[in-house]
Amino acid sequence: MMDVLGKTEEIVKKAKALGADEVIAKTTYGKYRQVRFSNNQVDIIVAWNDYSTDIALAWKKRLVATQIHRFDEADASIKRLMKLAKVSEENPTFGGFAKGSFRYAKSRADKKLKTLEKPAEYVSEAVEAAEKEAGCKVDSGGILFTKFEDVYLASSEGPVGVDSRSAIELSIRAFSEREASGHGVECRSTLKDFKPARAGAKAGEIAKLARNPRIGDEGTYDVIFDPLIFGSLLGVWGGMASAYSVLVQQSIFVGKLGKMVAPEMVTLKDNPAAYSMSNKVFDDEGTPTKENVFINRGVLKTYLHNASTAKMFKTKTTANAGLVYPTPWNIEMGAGSTSKDELFKGVKKGLYLTNTWYTRFQNSAKGDFSTIPRDGIFMVERGEIKRSLKDLRVSDNVLAMLGNVAEVSKERQHVHWWGFEADLPSLAPYVLIKNVHITKSK
Amino acid sequence: MDEEIVDFALEYARSKKVEYAEVRAHSQVQDGLMLRNGVVEAVVSAVDSGFCVRLIAGGGIGFASTNKWTKEEARAIVNLASKHARAANRKEKLVFAEEKSVKTRWAVAQKKKVENISLEERTSTLAEVSKALSSSKVKIAATTSSCSTNLITKYFVNSEGSRISSYVPRLGAYVFITVAEQGKTEQAYEQFGYSGGWEAFSKWKIPEKMVHDAKVLRAVITKAKTMKPGNMDLVCGSEVTGIAAHESCGHPMEADRILGREMSQAGRSFIYKGGQYWIGTRIGSKAVTVVDDPTIENSYGFYEYDDEGVKARRRFMYKEGVINEFLHNRESAAKLGVKSNGSSRSINYDREAIVRMANTFVPPGEFTEEELIEDVKNGVYMKSFTEWNIDDKRFNQRYVGREAYLIENGELKYPVARPVIETTTLKFWTAVDAVSRKVEFDAATCGKGDPEQGVPVYTGGPCLRLRKVFVK
Repeated sequence: MMDVLGKTEEIVKKAKALGADEVIAKTTYGKYRQVRFSNNQVDIIVAWNDYSTDIALAWKKRLVATQIHRFDEADASIKRLMKLAKVSEENPTFGGFAKGSFRYAKSRADKKLKTLEKPAEYVSEAVEAAEKEAGCKVDSGGILFTKFEDVYLASSEGPVGVDSRSAIELSIRAFSEREASGHGVECRSTLKDFKPARAGAKAGEIAKLARNPRIGDEGTYDVIFDPLIFGSLLGVWGGMASAYSVLVQQSIFVGKLGKMVAPEMVTLKDNPAAYSMSNKVFDDEGTPTKENVFINRGVLKTYLHNASTAKMFKTKTTANAGLVYPTPWNIEMGAGSTSKDELFKGVKKGLYLTNTWYTRFQNSAKGDFSTIPRDGIFMVERGEIKRSLKDLRVSDNVLAMLGNVAEVSKERQHVHWWGFEADLPSLAPYVLIKNVHITKSK
Repeated sequence: MDEEIVDFALEYARSKKVEYAEVRAHSQVQDGLMLRNGVVEAVVSAVDSGFCVRLIAGGGIGFASTNKWTKEEARAIVNLASKHARAANRKEKLVFAEEKSVKTRWAVAQKKKVENISLEERTSTLAEVSKALSSSKVKIAATTSSCSTNLITKYFVNSEGSRISSYVPRLGAYVFITVAEQGKTEQAYEQFGYSGGWEAFSKWKIPEKMVHDAKVLRAVITKAKTMKPGNMDLVCGSEVTGIAAHESCGHPMEADRILGREMSQAGRSFIYKGGQYWIGTRIGSKAVTVVDDPTIENSYGFYEYDDEGVKARRRFMYKEGVINEFLHNRESAAKLGVKSNGSSRSINYDREAIVRMANTFVPPGEFTEEELIEDVKNGVYMKSFTEWNIDDKRFNQRYVGREAYLIENGELKYPVARPVIETTTLKFWTAVDAVSRKVEFDAATCGKGDPEQGVPVYTGGPCLRLRKVFVK
């Protein structure tokens, strides 16, 4: 391992010797495995090994970056980067990479996830649990994904570190009828307490309840969001906390620092903690990662920064550096004081949404958007699920929805959902939001 | 790219007693440039090169990839793929539809070679967008723009004797603007794509297009009126036609989706065996034909052979309003007892090839755009869109207009603010009564698969006229 770190440090030294002002090199040796299944059978088992070194260097406020796959490519790549830097233009807002020497927390990655034995058995466990919970034959599909990465980082500005990052995810959708389905996920950073049957049972439970759906009605509803759908929305909304999103006006949080953006019960954090699928002990500049509360009791406290955007905003980095831009890692919503059951009981008439996809904005600065609930959509009356619905759409505004959060459950789940727009894990509770606008096809 | 290692991997895979094996190598020389408000944020330049093995053994499929170019690694990934294929332990054994073996080379020519374009020229070309916006007198709150060039070399071999080499230079650009007037904002995003050389930039006319968008957004803020919801005629501009063709024809016609292989993530289709819709079922009016065609020269989704070595051709998905032909790879084709129509695509060496669209559009009709509008008493012309989405069975969709005008007695009256059509696939295509002549294309990145594979595509078509649909 130290040999790889040594070679990564060597890249930094060589770039400095060629005249670079600041350099970061990050080598990742990744092993990724995936089982894809549908109709209760494995379709394909996929393995991909990735060996890469990301290099970013700055010369007179010109930022250039590359990726190489062999250390013997390093010399030529650095020379090419320096040439590019010298013909590039200055970015006056570039504030440099993070500086300092740090001690990092010990990685808790699970080495068993380097080569998971008999991955298809985890799938069978989930499929069987779905069928058992549904109490009938179901068609299940989904993925089992594992990740193990060794990461070596060296920076000319001081940080040097080694990290190992692991994750496992089982995502299953079960159909009890053609238009009745449920989705469950089980996400962990290690195999400890990883229970695929839990995801299967959730998918099966929702699929059972979702039978015989009828087309729902348009209107304004009090809506209970399951952790899976709310986590998906948090992934999108959390991305708007990146200082870069704010700079380019693709955020509802522009100009709202220090202002109330939600009721007091809403606290949102970014935290790539040990439990998270995106666990990491340092960011891409080598700053030790930490919990960052960006909405505290409804008040927007900070954006998520790398060293450069922090300088622009006259604050400190929040350890959210990607190679070029700051990015969130894992959004957590603070737990509420109500149990899930009490939260349901508090709804006289409303909807319970379990999953969504295709979240798109009319205007990401204003927050006008729509998203399409899928899998179980339920009418709730006096806290009870009364009937299964289909073909509805949430057509609303992010700030309005945040402002209308009425209850947050104690129970939270670590979730990750698929999709370009929401590929971010989160720790999400059940959330009740009042007056949500629901539309449908006409 | 070391073809000897690819050939070695195939020979080694053959020795593993497999039913089928293929090795696919991709090398991508990528250069990207990002600007914020006309200032260079970052320059990215990299070469990504690797290969994958996909094989069928014991009726299961195994796939493994690497970017380490050694024979030892080749052996390791073949062993892994073979082990994984057998571990699938399927009841229903997988086979691929038959194909003739092919030995060929194909390439896309560049008129102006990307390799000869300096970073200075790339920067000044992209910076013209911000300069044009600055001189447009529209108040722009923020602009982000980027351009990328990707020189893609592929080498494909399989155990049936196919050997295909290809070279495609692919160019892309993105611009996102926020217009702020009277304390309000509106936003527009445009994507550009091309297979070929740097001549793409002179064809795209990005500065002109973005200045047009900026003026449209200003008009939406300052002049546009909100709609009175109701049943009315709707004329869709080519951008709206294109997204509808892609979302509510292209996607539901993907055979892997129809068969349930994407059931968990990208979803299924309203079309399925034993259901209301299948080949031969009416889904639209006689005026409606939607095709997918990878062979359009210089298109963003261009290819001559797909990533399973099958010759590309035009597919008539909806033909005169009737469901006609699904998009297939060899796996889905075998399941439905047909031949692949060359729709198998992968974004890189580390992703399996799955059923994808290429360039999806409505072919030209017989009217002019003016004739479509002239015959509308009360309606809306939705020229472009902002927000859009569709459910995962591809039936309930929504398009929100960006540039849109009220039509009264055959004339465009004034801009309308964000008109919305939220309707079903059946209602949308059944309402079409006329199609204009001039086809235009937009570049897009189509998402599907897990892990996500964003593939370059065109969406497009002429203008469509829809009668009596609900617009709000």
